[in-house]
Amino acid sequence: MRGPLLFKDIDTPGLCKLETYRQGGGYEPLAETLGKKSPDECIDVVKASGLRGRGGAGFPTGLKWSFVPKASTKPKYIVCNADESEPGTFKDRELMEKNPHLLIEGMILAGYAIGSHVGYIYLRGEFEYIQRILDAAIAEARTAGVLGDDVMGSGFGFELHTHLGAGAYICGEETALLSSLEGYRGQPRLKPPFPAVEGLYACPTVVNNVETLMNVPSILKQGAKWYRQWGTEKSAGTKILSVSGPVKRPGNYEVPLGMPLSQLINDLCGGMRDGLKLKAVIPGGSSVPLLPASQLDTGLDYESMNAVGTYLGSGGVIVIDDKTCIVDALYNITRFYTHESCGKCTPCREGTFWLSEIFERLLSGNGTLADIHLLGDIADNIMGKSFCALGDAAAMPIQGGLKHFRHEFEYLVQHRTSLVNRRKTEISEVSA
Amino acid sequence: MSAMVKVTINGRTVEVPTGTLITDAARAAETHVPIFCAHSKLPPLGACRICVVEIGTPKLDSERKPVIAADGAPEIAWNPKVQTGCTTPVSEGMHVRTESATAVKARKGVMEFLLVNHPLDCPVCDEGGECQLQDLAFAFGSDHSRLVDSKRTFESEDLGPIVKKEANRCIVCMRCVRYCDEVMGEDALTAHQRGVRTEISSFDRQPLECEQCGNCIEVCPVGALTALPYRFKARPWDLRQHITICPYCSNGCSVRLGVRGMEILRARGTEFRGVNQEFLCVRGRFGYEYVNSPDRLTAPLVRAGASLQPSTHDEATTYVAQRLRDIAATHGPGSIAFLGGEKLNLEEQYLFQKLARSVLGTNHIDARTRFTTRVSGAAVLKATGGGRPALTFEQLYAAKEVLVFGDDLQGESPFAQATIIRGQHQSGLHLTVAHPRRVKLARAKFQGDWLGLKPGSELALLQALTRAALESGDPTDVPADIAQGLGALRSSLAAWTPERVESETGLPAAAVAAAAKRLHGATSKAVLFGRALTEHPQAPALLQAIENLAWATGALTTHTSSVMYAGPQHDSQGALDMGLTPDMLPGYVPMGDAALRERFEKQWGCTLGTHQGSSAPEILEAAAAGSIRALWIVSDHWLASAPDRALVEKALSTAELVVVNELFLTTTAQQAHVVFPVAAFAEKEGVVVNCERRLQKANRAMSPKRGGRPDWEVFQAVAQSLGADWKYRTSEDVFREIVRLVPGYEGMSWATLLPTGPQWTSMRVAASVRSIDAPAPVQGEGLWLLSGGVLFAQGTLTSRSPTLSKLAKHARAVLHTGEAKRLDVGAGDLIDLTGAGGAVSLPVEIDDSVPMGAVFVPYAYADAGLNRLGTPTGAGLRIGVRKGSTAVQAGA
Amino acid sequence: MSHPDMVMPIEAPEIHDWPEKLKPAVAEAISHYPFKRSAVLPLLWLAQTEWGWLPPAALRLVARTLELNEPEVFGIATFYTMFNLKPVGRHHLQVCMTLSCSLMGADRLFRHLQNKLGVGHGETTPDGRFTLRKVECLAACGYAPCLQVGLDYHENLDLAKVDALLERLK
Repeated sequence: MRGPLLFKDIDTPGLCKLETYRQGGGYEPLAETLGKKSPDECIDVVKASGLRGRGGAGFPTGLKWSFVPKASTKPKYIVCNADESEPGTFKDRELMEKNPHLLIEGMILAGYAIGSHVGYIYLRGEFEYIQRILDAAIAEARTAGVLGDDVMGSGFGFELHTHLGAGAYICGEETALLSSLEGYRGQPRLKPPFPAVEGLYACPTVVNNVETLMNVPSILKQGAKWYRQWGTEKSAGTKILSVSGPVKRPGNYEVPLGMPLSQLINDLCGGMRDGLKLKAVIPGGSSVPLLPASQLDTGLDYESMNAVGTYLGSGGVIVIDDKTCIVDALYNITRFYTHESCGKCTPCREGTFWLSEIFERLLSGNGTLADIHLLGDIADNIMGKSFCALGDAAAMPIQGGLKHFRHEFEYLVQHRTSLVNRRKTEISEVSA
Repeated sequence: MSAMVKVTINGRTVEVPTGTLITDAARAAETHVPIFCAHSKLPPLGACRICVVEIGTPKLDSERKPVIAADGAPEIAWNPKVQTGCTTPVSEGMHVRTESATAVKARKGVMEFLLVNHPLDCPVCDEGGECQLQDLAFAFGSDHSRLVDSKRTFESEDLGPIVKKEANRCIVCMRCVRYCDEVMGEDALTAHQRGVRTEISSFDRQPLECEQCGNCIEVCPVGALTALPYRFKARPWDLRQHITICPYCSNGCSVRLGVRGMEILRARGTEFRGVNQEFLCVRGRFGYEYVNSPDRLTAPLVRAGASLQPSTHDEATTYVAQRLRDIAATHGPGSIAFLGGEKLNLEEQYLFQKLARSVLGTNHIDARTRFTTRVSGAAVLKATGGGRPALTFEQLYAAKEVLVFGDDLQGESPFAQATIIRGQHQSGLHLTVAHPRRVKLARAKFQGDWLGLKPGSELALLQALTRAALESGDPTDVPADIAQGLGALRSSLAAWTPERVESETGLPAAAVAAAAKRLHGATSKAVLFGRALTEHPQAPALLQAIENLAWATGALTTHTSSVMYAGPQHDSQGALDMGLTPDMLPGYVPMGDAALRERFEKQWGCTLGTHQGSSAPEILEAAAAGSIRALWIVSDHWLASAPDRALVEKALSTAELVVVNELFLTTTAQQAHVVFPVAAFAEKEGVVVNCERRLQKANRAMSPKRGGRPDWEVFQAVAQSLGADWKYRTSEDVFREIVRLVPGYEGMSWATLLPTGPQWTSMRVAASVRSIDAPAPVQGEGLWLLSGGVLFAQGTLTSRSPTLSKLAKHARAVLHTGEAKRLDVGAGDLIDLTGAGGAVSLPVEIDDSVPMGAVFVPYAYADAGLNRLGTPTGAGLRIGVRKGSTAVQAGA
Repeated sequence: MSHPDMVMPIEAPEIHDWPEKLKPAVAEAISHYPFKRSAVLPLLWLAQTEWGWLPPAALRLVARTLELNEPEVFGIATFYTMFNLKPVGRHHLQVCMTLSCSLMGADRLFRHLQNKLGVGHGETTPDGRFTLRKVECLAACGYAPCLQVGLDYHENLDLAKVDALLERLK
């Protein structure tokens, strides 16, 4: 058993088949909810469970659902954000690959709660093989009467489609996702209006992450209190953390929220590999400020992470070792954001480009101490001024890096070479 | 409608309507909040971030009451994040700071980002000196750059003959892309790639296939898009800038001419000026070029035997006066006719008819040389509501249902088209287009309904629409006599059964009924028509049918009119208003109105009589027959405009005296006995009246080219030579006389017309609803001949504007793929078109927007010679069409 | 060093309509949405799968099918990195270079591929077999380093595994 809830049976062979899924109690929550609980009751249970968005922002899910105007005569949509693009995060991929029916069940239930009869699963383009898995599961569900005009004889109709992106990190931002789904360039839109009021095709829309939706069936079946057996008061339930970097056992781990970071890395992942030591951890995907090794005892929950100046985010835990140059690692992240900036707003478009240029110069040994200040100032000028959160995502790692590892920047400038740089050494080993 | 809220910007409190954006409220508070991506004609985008400000709202206590500070003022809770002023509406009690440390740092940061990849090439940039980025960099930027690394670069591109693109200068504000889409409906531009590699271009970097309006250049706040025709020609500070009115269509757009010496170097729009508010079409932007043409006439020409010889104004004037006096004396004033004048300004139009009526004593005056039948001078005014305040462009934009009947606005009224497109995108406008061709506005993209009627069934469709509207219920707010008339009309329309509608128009009766119902039910609406109806052989009936429909649908009410007539020229409306028609004195005073006629007689010192003159088609017949012996044609290429070329040729060769006022030696002018060279639009001043019936002052940007004189001076000189006591010092004197004499202009002066004049309203023409006896559908064989305006034309003026000439295609006949196949012709092959009076041969273009069974020949290709067919060019006519010279039987 | 344009003068295929076999898929994709426009990504994918890349004629076809303006479809296609606006080799090797993979040796892997294939980022081998490309995070961070060949994931790679992989890709 890899985890208490979502990962409990995840490795059951053939789980992606409807029959196997049903054997484990699958679609029971659906049968017990449709027509038996009112949509409002469903929203109330999810609210009471304390479930928060698992995509990164951590917004209370039940509250988000409750924003959908009930009186609206427009069609309503439930959209699953399966764009999983935050570097360090690979949990949704495993969840969907192994347990597609749980996502289908979660989406039908969410649709029922908000009064939506059509759902879309927006997958990142690279997940084409997962689209095939999901499409097969959807076809199975349709044949079995789980999807269609009359879901399991309840009279509630629900149709579900997958939609494949084509390579754009920004489409994980919910309004950009909706632009992309509508058939535009995947750029974020103004909020307000929020998607709950004017989302897909200007209709009320809820966008939820894969993991979030997958928690819904068991919450509705077992109740809010049951879900709250895990986690803390404000960060209830479990969270899947994707651990990457030079640890002995990288991978996805489902843990109760609040577990100390050290326990995850040292106990579950078996600590560092190849004799490397841990220098820093990015706890919530590449968008969040990193933590130095000294803060490893911080709890993996939304509040504890905020208290030390970072975020739980999407749960992408990237472990950085002592032989890696922090400046080099931050350049890698910055280059990512430069590549992924959609170009809509000035601070993000120009700022990420400029940051990358400065990093390149620093790493080539041509930086000055003024450049270090400049990096911080550019990050400050992006922070809070960009159109969507991508700009902040690019700025925060740099702000965190400068806060905890300024000495590595200074060393690099003064010595024209990094304090340590494992990557560079490794490349030179295969140089032509 | 909207309540007002108080907002405090940098300590100054202003009251603005709810929903006002901070950037606009700042304008009211006289605070400058810079913008790039925001544009008054586009919805908020919030992309460039230069307008970031600090925002605070009153702090509320637990009972949601404002917390009052020690000084008695409400305490303000300042948002820790700056926000964009262009996307944030103000709220009651909001405070905005633009000069706090936070706001200034944020703005400077954005400014620095904007300059990161922007080249320092201002000295070689055409935008230099009027660049918003340059201005703001000066105001908010730093004097040195912290960027030491290299900038990302792009190749420069020519996107066709108009748009030059330097992507390095682009700040990705998206104004061009959005304007092209939301206002022009063209979508010719798009953003390629993303992030810092974002680049605006066309499909696969091909030359732009669009209306070539250049508005993308206009709205570009930097030098990323510049105009190739203006490239490296001048610096803005070297130009005198004059705002005047465009000389092309009836929309009356304000153009800002950039003049250096005696040459116009460019034309631009101005964002908050004129009816068009920055918009210009391709003709407005590049059509001025004819003013600079070396082909302009530089001296009066007087016929000496077979040739025209240069002369002086005095000689030509004396000669003309002498000949007119002789002809009048010998054959009577009725042997003299005046034609043209739709391109004159109001003052000139007034003097032109005054000369005819009061000095020469003839009422044979008609500006409407393209008309194919006699139409009352008041018919158009009556159809548009008899002088009720005319529909404005603002009302058109806000209308929920718009019916465009018969005209292709792309060619005839580009700004009206843009207004409708913007309304469709932004304000819930729904559109119905009644046109045999699938014109631009009828494309699926604009989500309207297209009534693709059979050519010739215009009247049938109007009848059917009116019947369906009356079935939707009685209109409210109509005068009693109209209500009564509608009752009678209803019974007369009973004959328009769905079966008859379908058989005559070729349209599903349900679609026709739905269109009428939409118009009837809409809270705000507009009906637009133009020359397709007025130049139609059934024009009088069609105009009455439009009025019937307008009353039946509520487009006309007791006090308002939502019907717009877009005439063919920029002052077609003025020509009607000033009585350049055989039956009306200026101000729609009928010759029979004794009291008002006396007023004119007194002012003019003459006796006018009650007789009506001949209309243009009648003058044409009479001149060809020799009973009209003297013709004065003003700015009208009669050989091209009159409906029957053979007849015009005969008339011109028969007449004893032909006087032509022209800019160029057209083939019409070549037939004249005297040609007066005149001033172009930019060389004179006066009032022009657009399709909103709005009086606008057209200004002079420079003095007339050598030899040219404003038309009114030519008229005055001849009048004086004929002994009239005319003493106008300027055309403003003429306008004063109009104000004194003509009903409806009371209280006006040139000064009251600035910056945007009022609409002329005068309920002088009684409205009426009348039953129409629709003639039987046109029978006959051959293809339907469709004509109409197109955007890229080669007329008298456009063909002398090199940029427009470059864009225009040659004269052509357009066929549907199926029709071409039937005639066994391909694109470029010649076909012969044969009418009653002759034949023309034209190359084929294939375009499926033309219906089967028809051939479309655009107007305004002087070389097309469509009127050689000898059949009026209005819709509802059939002609023979053959491949090359081998006969192919056309028709069913 | 080579460049797709130089060594593979691939002629853009003549495209007038969807091949018959794809027409049901086109119709199916469009049927998923209340507005045709939404099918733009699915149709671009179908076109790319069919022709290997997206020549202008394919973009025009997509625009025509969905009643969109051609320039806009061009803008959409270039926004997303997985659409190839230029021809690519038979096997499109896309090596993830983002942090987790980089920490686990992605740079070394890329350099190895570069040496072995003799081409750099964005380039195609003269025989048209491989196009090599650096890409950003593929959501395989726990199985780093990783690359995608076309749309197939290959994870937990080392130099030997990559060599064996190249052998298999003919």
